[in-house]
Amino acid sequence: MKLSTFLYAFLIVDVFFMGALASVALRHAYAHFRPDRHDGEKSRKPYENGHLPPSVREHLLEAAQKNFQQVLNTSADELQKDLADSSERIKELMDKIGNEIVGNEVEFYKQQLQALRKQTTTDITGVQTELTAQQAEMKAKLDADIAVEKQQLVQLIDTKLADAVASFLVDSLQHNVDLGAQAPYLTAVLEEHKAELAKGVSGEA
Amino acid sequence: MKLKLPEEISSPQDLKAVIIEIRAYARWTAHADIKKRVHAKTRKHQSEQPELSPAASALLHAWGAANSLSVAGFDQLISSLERVIEHSPVLAITLAAPPSTGLKKTLVTWCRDNIAPNVLVTFQFNSTLLGGLVVRSGSHIFDWSFRRQILENRQHFPEVLRRV
Repeated sequence: MKLSTFLYAFLIVDVFFMGALASVALRHAYAHFRPDRHDGEKSRKPYENGHLPPSVREHLLEAAQKNFQQVLNTSADELQKDLADSSERIKELMDKIGNEIVGNEVEFYKQQLQALRKQTTTDITGVQTELTAQQAEMKAKLDADIAVEKQQLVQLIDTKLADAVASFLVDSLQHNVDLGAQAPYLTAVLEEHKAELAKGVSGEA
Repeated sequence: MKLKLPEEISSPQDLKAVIIEIRAYARWTAHADIKKRVHAKTRKHQSEQPELSPAASALLHAWGAANSLSVAGFDQLISSLERVIEHSPVLAITLAAPPSTGLKKTLVTWCRDNIAPNVLVTFQFNSTLLGGLVVRSGSHIFDWSFRRQILENRQHFPEVLRRV
């Protein structure tokens, strides 16, 4: 017997077993996805027409309403309380944030103000120093100008006054006066007033 | 003889000093004359001749030319000089600066030529006069100084100043 014959026989047997196993698997799968009802379930009868009795229904409805109302009230109370708590917390938070922001802003403003004040003080000091230096410089220049002008005026006054005095002396004395040699002038004066002098002397005598 | 004072003698003080000198000289002359008469030749009894100032010498020369320089002559000269002091007019001339001898002589000569022959002149100085002279004769004062002329003309000073 050849080996291929044996192999064909073996394969045919395998196909047979595989067909059996496939049918069993199908049956289990169907039972799994579509199970049959249990006996208790098969014996229970449904309500007539599919509805509950009115008293039960009313009782259930009242109970449901009461429960619903209770749940609703409780939820509303809790919600209100939570809302109040949240509101309080939000308010506190807002206050805190506001205070923090305002504090920060105030601090920033103070720092800015301090910096500006410092800058202004520095600027004013600089300006004052510069102003003082400029004033000193201007004063020195003014003093120098005044001194020069004063000197010029004094020289002018001296010149004018000297001219005036000389003119006045010439006008007053009406002589070619030589202040160094007085003898000719004195004899001239005596000669001019000789008669007057002789009269005075003779009058005394 | 009419006594003519030399130029060197200008003031009464000068004249008094000359009188003192002449008195001393007259005394010495008298002593010398006596010694001469008694033949006192010893050196011990000889006294030195007093020195005379140029003014006194000039006056004695002028006086001796016309008069004898005897004791009587000296007395007469001294009397004449004292009369001059008493009767001659005195002029006080004030100048702006101390006058030099030359200027003094010039002014004294002019005064004796033009005012009176034996006029006596005293000199003073006052620098505030600035120039010119002030002559005082008794109660008369003749102010010909620069100061007076300037002060008299002071109202014209503003005009002069404006002109300058």
